[in-house]
Amino acid sequence: MPCRLPNAASGIGLYLHVPFCLSKCPYCDFNTYEGLTPLIPAYMAALEREIRLWAELLHGPPVSSIYYGGGTPSYVPPHSIASSLQTVTNLFEVSRDAELTLEANPGDVAPEQIDSWMKAGINRLSIGVQSFDDALLKTLGRRHTSQEAARAALCAASRGLENLSLDLMFGLPLQTLGQWQNSLNTAIDLEPQHLSIYGLQLEPGTPMEADVRLGRTPDVDNDLAADMYTLAEDTLGQAGFEHYEISNWARRGKESQHNLAYWTLQPYLGVGSGAHSFLHGRRFANVKSPRAYARCLESDAAIHNNRAHPVDAMRALGTVGEAETMDRQTAIAETMMMGMRLSRGVSNADFNHRFGVDMSDVFYEELRDLSDAGLIIHDHAGARLTPRGRLLGNEVFARLVEASSKAAQFRPGQAA
Amino acid sequence: MEWMDKSRIRNFCIIAHIDHGKSTLADRLMQFTGAVEDRDLTEQHLDTMELERERGITIKAQAVRLSYTARDGRGYELNLIDTPGHVDFTYEVSRSLAACEGALLLIDATQGIQAQTMANIYLAMEHDLSIIPVINKIDLPGAEPERVAGEIEQSFGFAPQDIQYISAKTGKGVLDLLETVVELVEPPRGDPSAPLRALIFDSRYDPYKGVVAYLRVVDGEMKGTERAMLMSAGVTADVLEAGFFSPAPEKSAGLATGQVGYLATGLKNVRDCRVGDTLTSSRLPATAPLAGYRPLKPMVFSGLYPADGKAYPELRDALDKLQLNDPALVFEPESSTALGFGFRCGFLGLLHMDIVQERLEREYDLSLIATAPGVNYRVTLTDQSVVEVDNPSRMPPAQTIAEVREPWVELSIIAPSRFIGPVMDLVTGRRGEYRKMEYLPTRSSMSAGANGPADAPANDARVHLEYLAPLSEILVDFHDQLKARTQGYASMDYSLVDDRPADLVKLEVLVNQEPVDALSIITHRGDAQSQGRKLARKLRELIPRQMFEVPIQAAIGNKVIARETVRALRKNVLAKCYGGDVTRKRKLLEQQAEGKKRLKKIGRVDVPQEAFLAVLKIDRE
Repeated sequence: MPCRLPNAASGIGLYLHVPFCLSKCPYCDFNTYEGLTPLIPAYMAALEREIRLWAELLHGPPVSSIYYGGGTPSYVPPHSIASSLQTVTNLFEVSRDAELTLEANPGDVAPEQIDSWMKAGINRLSIGVQSFDDALLKTLGRRHTSQEAARAALCAASRGLENLSLDLMFGLPLQTLGQWQNSLNTAIDLEPQHLSIYGLQLEPGTPMEADVRLGRTPDVDNDLAADMYTLAEDTLGQAGFEHYEISNWARRGKESQHNLAYWTLQPYLGVGSGAHSFLHGRRFANVKSPRAYARCLESDAAIHNNRAHPVDAMRALGTVGEAETMDRQTAIAETMMMGMRLSRGVSNADFNHRFGVDMSDVFYEELRDLSDAGLIIHDHAGARLTPRGRLLGNEVFARLVEASSKAAQFRPGQAA
Repeated sequence: MEWMDKSRIRNFCIIAHIDHGKSTLADRLMQFTGAVEDRDLTEQHLDTMELERERGITIKAQAVRLSYTARDGRGYELNLIDTPGHVDFTYEVSRSLAACEGALLLIDATQGIQAQTMANIYLAMEHDLSIIPVINKIDLPGAEPERVAGEIEQSFGFAPQDIQYISAKTGKGVLDLLETVVELVEPPRGDPSAPLRALIFDSRYDPYKGVVAYLRVVDGEMKGTERAMLMSAGVTADVLEAGFFSPAPEKSAGLATGQVGYLATGLKNVRDCRVGDTLTSSRLPATAPLAGYRPLKPMVFSGLYPADGKAYPELRDALDKLQLNDPALVFEPESSTALGFGFRCGFLGLLHMDIVQERLEREYDLSLIATAPGVNYRVTLTDQSVVEVDNPSRMPPAQTIAEVREPWVELSIIAPSRFIGPVMDLVTGRRGEYRKMEYLPTRSSMSAGANGPADAPANDARVHLEYLAPLSEILVDFHDQLKARTQGYASMDYSLVDDRPADLVKLEVLVNQEPVDALSIITHRGDAQSQGRKLARKLRELIPRQMFEVPIQAAIGNKVIARETVRALRKNVLAKCYGGDVTRKRKLLEQQAEGKKRLKKIGRVDVPQEAFLAVLKIDRE
């Protein structure tokens, strides 16, 4: 049965980007920097100013989830997290049961820190464990040990945190199936409510990608990575976790509300350098450089809210770069590529409700072929990936995204 | 009409290996005779095609008339006929030579005699030309004019004083060379009062003037007003314009016995005005054509397909246009289950094939897939009928074949003696038969040894190796291998000799149980097993993993001789896709879909274009 969503329309998701790290990991291609520590106070101040400006522009709408991501949000002083969160709750209508997540490195998770974060309102921690094997942690350039990671997880629970997520990675150079099983078991023993399991993706421009390309680090066998993924599915399934998205598992009711909003194309606002937003049918992103971002938001920054779209006011300020309006074809493509990531898939009813046409009309041929190939199940309820389809998701997404160009032929109220 | 006294005409050409400086010398000759002003002298005036300049070769012959006042105070008319240097165009070279009385044998002082020099000089000797050996590039630091002179003396029997030393680049020695041409090249023979006979040594299509024939008047005279007849083609044509090049075209009233020039015919098809044909007057035709005409016959065949199937009409138009000026290019439509619609094309040789492909891609902006080159097989069936097969997919079933004959060539290779071993291995590995080996003598070995050629040669001595080999065996990767094994020192040349019975089989490739016509090849039975294995292995590397397992088989008849498997793709999924990634990830997926569209389909299997080049990429050795 497809799990039921919270009424996401009741509010927007709010993402706050913290682009600082003590050291940048060799596989990471995110907008994050080491050695920018002196900029933290000015940056966090700018972040708060951006929150205020948006609150003014949007008239303090309801917020259903808040997410501090990075970078390493646990790397900045807890009081600046508390201060920015206070600004949000003062100016936005944050629902009582809202999920407030903070990403943390195991090394930063100590009792005092947890207490301050929780006191500020954080009710969910996502800890970047990545592996419980010390040798692999070293390959990944992580500064913590497996023991520290375990200690961090236990510590969070002991301070009363009831929603803990651990990140693990598989398909790492030199990683064995045995090591992977061991990491999974250790993670389960720590009793998190949520697990994000990511296959390593070698991104161009990262040191690790270069190492593999130049043969300095062994490449990862694609078949072994597939075996690891299947092993995770089996192990976590037996441990009672629900596999609700390609890379995410949770205890029932502990699915990440913030991320679900992304996958169902709900509106969200991102603040901070390089943060992306999807508001009022437009996608836009802030400038990437933390320095440039902070400069745009010097203390006297003011806006003139006399423009057609609030984004334009921020563009005038310089924090927002390009903005694009999402057309119907793109909306359909993204609904499919994001929605199909979820185990419940895309429902016929939701699709029809949103676009006024039937998914099975627009994607008749694709859904048939993908079913025949054993990658999806398509029935009266909707379309969703099979276990095989989860491993070959791109084959499904690419086909559906490409076919979305046909969407123009299917208009509400018209016979196909 | 005022005709130049034929005793003052000298018709000559330059024969040289690629890069030995033929075009530079031609430029210098034009400059020294005032045909071009110094300031108009672009590099290499005669090579008009971009490709010719880039590759440093001449594809089409041209002729330039030079006016030269010799040291005897008299004016002479020198006609320089440029010849395509390459073996593929041997027939065209031979027609150019037939239009001359003399030839400059141009040899690079840093390189010495090359395989093509050999071939061309023998051709010149056959045509009874006065040959003037010229050593070029004597100004270069690596020049060894002495050594090269030794080679020339010993290989071709010239006297030391016959040899001219020049630098075409600086002009040194070029005026002396012009004198020598006047002195040694005989004036044209031919009967001015006989009916007109002119030899066509080149032709090209001009959109305004129709087919323009380049010709040499052998007998009689050609008036610019008379209807002409092409004797072998049996076609008559209006004469729109006669003239010569100097090097810009200049109209003239006509051409006299012995003169070289052009004739604009108004014909629409170069096929009606072939190289080697004899042009005469339709009012008073000659009784017999000049000797030596033969139609060009393609020797190498390959399928050309547009990479994008939609570009088929463009490819057809481009081939039509190329053919206007290249009667040696033949093509007919063919279709392949994997590659769609394309053309089976016939070429004079490998270089010709390369040039055509490159021109199609460059001048017509086409992206092409070429199937492995093959030869023309003469197949005698059990009912004694004979068929010619130039396409592996048309090879009749084995049980209906009585005999297959394949073309053999005489292969001539010149290389430093230290590479004899590797060259031998290469050629014998390709079913080549050793014929003979000769050391190219050097001055030092001449002075040292009266004991014959068996003398221990110096370390840098060069040898001329001759083999017979099946043409099909030298089509793919032979020249590259030869260069690789001799550190680039070897040069090669070949000419067709005959055809021989061959024990050949058709090697078929099946991808996911489907036979792929574009990948089948005809190969010697003895090599089939290893070829099949290598081909299957190469395809396994080139075909990306699909969502299902793909068997690749090589088969002869019904017998599978090799099998490889492309394992099913198990994992292809973006691990992370959150709020910050949506647009970027959607574009990635669009690219993936776009990339897939460019793949060719073999049944359910998506195959990249490179896979069809697998045959060219397998390592033979």
